[in-house]
Amino acid sequence: MEHLGEDPTSARPAATPGPASAAPVPSALSGEPSPQPAPGLGARFRRDLRIGVKAGLQTFWELARVMIPAYGLTLVLERLGVIQWLAQLARPLMALLGLPGDAAVPLMVGYVLNIYAAVGSMQALDLSAQQVTVLAIAILIGHNLLVEGAVLHRAGMNGFAFGALRVVAGLAAAAVADLLMGLF
Amino acid sequence: MADLLRTFVMGSLDLLLRVFVIVVPIMVVLELFEGTRPFRSVVRAWARVVRHVGLNERSAAPTLIGFLFGLAYGGGVIVRDIRRHDLGRRQVFIMSTFLSMVHAIAEDSLVFIALGASAFWIVGFRIVWAALVTLALTAVATLVVRRWKA
Repeated sequence: MEHLGEDPTSARPAATPGPASAAPVPSALSGEPSPQPAPGLGARFRRDLRIGVKAGLQTFWELARVMIPAYGLTLVLERLGVIQWLAQLARPLMALLGLPGDAAVPLMVGYVLNIYAAVGSMQALDLSAQQVTVLAIAILIGHNLLVEGAVLHRAGMNGFAFGALRVVAGLAAAAVADLLMGLF
Repeated sequence: MADLLRTFVMGSLDLLLRVFVIVVPIMVVLELFEGTRPFRSVVRAWARVVRHVGLNERSAAPTLIGFLFGLAYGGGVIVRDIRRHDLGRRQVFIMSTFLSMVHAIAEDSLVFIALGASAFWIVGFRIVWAALVTLALTAVATLVVRRWKA
């Protein structure tokens, strides 16, 4: 995404052969060395492929490094019964969303684990179509908070604050949707 | 304890494999096609949409990846782009807020649609909600953090 804001005809620096001097022009935005002037299509493909694989492996490693510990913590919390404990605490809140108290279980399962686990525990409940939709909104906004929060943390944001935001804004969205759906 | 460890090892391998088969192809495809005309017109069209929540053209690609594939993958592209050039904390904040509210639009939504949730509400309403929350929080954050670059 090096030169998005510029003239669309100059696709990338390599497309136009440099001036008479063969000295590579350093690319201001990316830290990569500038390519040789006008390499063949095959050479450019191989170069981009190499950079892409390298970026992929590097990103994979960076994600793995934060996701795996967060996943471990998630398993420990689950084992300690934190999900059931949170669900007990959240039970009274469910009425605000027009949901039965039991709906707190899939919600907390979603927050701590992930969407698939939440869907699994939702199937144990007998919910109306509107209730399924309202609960889905809350879970779709807030889920897998530890693992995804770790990724945001890696991007320089506060993972805890964004976790809290997803819980609060997700519940608010569910409440608003419940109200609006009642009107129509 | 032993079974917890087993679950952790198996689960981690599963997670790693899943991240690997998504992240590496995304990065390769980005690298190969980022400079091409069709890719740029898609990103530019998307940029015209997300401009309304305060995102610039550089943030459009990571936001699109996150919107389509998931927060972790969008986050990965954000981390890559931060490594390559300064995105600006304000842009990263806006992207994180927007993607926190809506991401993995196809996969996650389909799981709940299969369960009987209304597509209109879980997709349409969630996108509108994401835009509103992003605009509101950016406005608040801009007041609090004065030194943010635009």
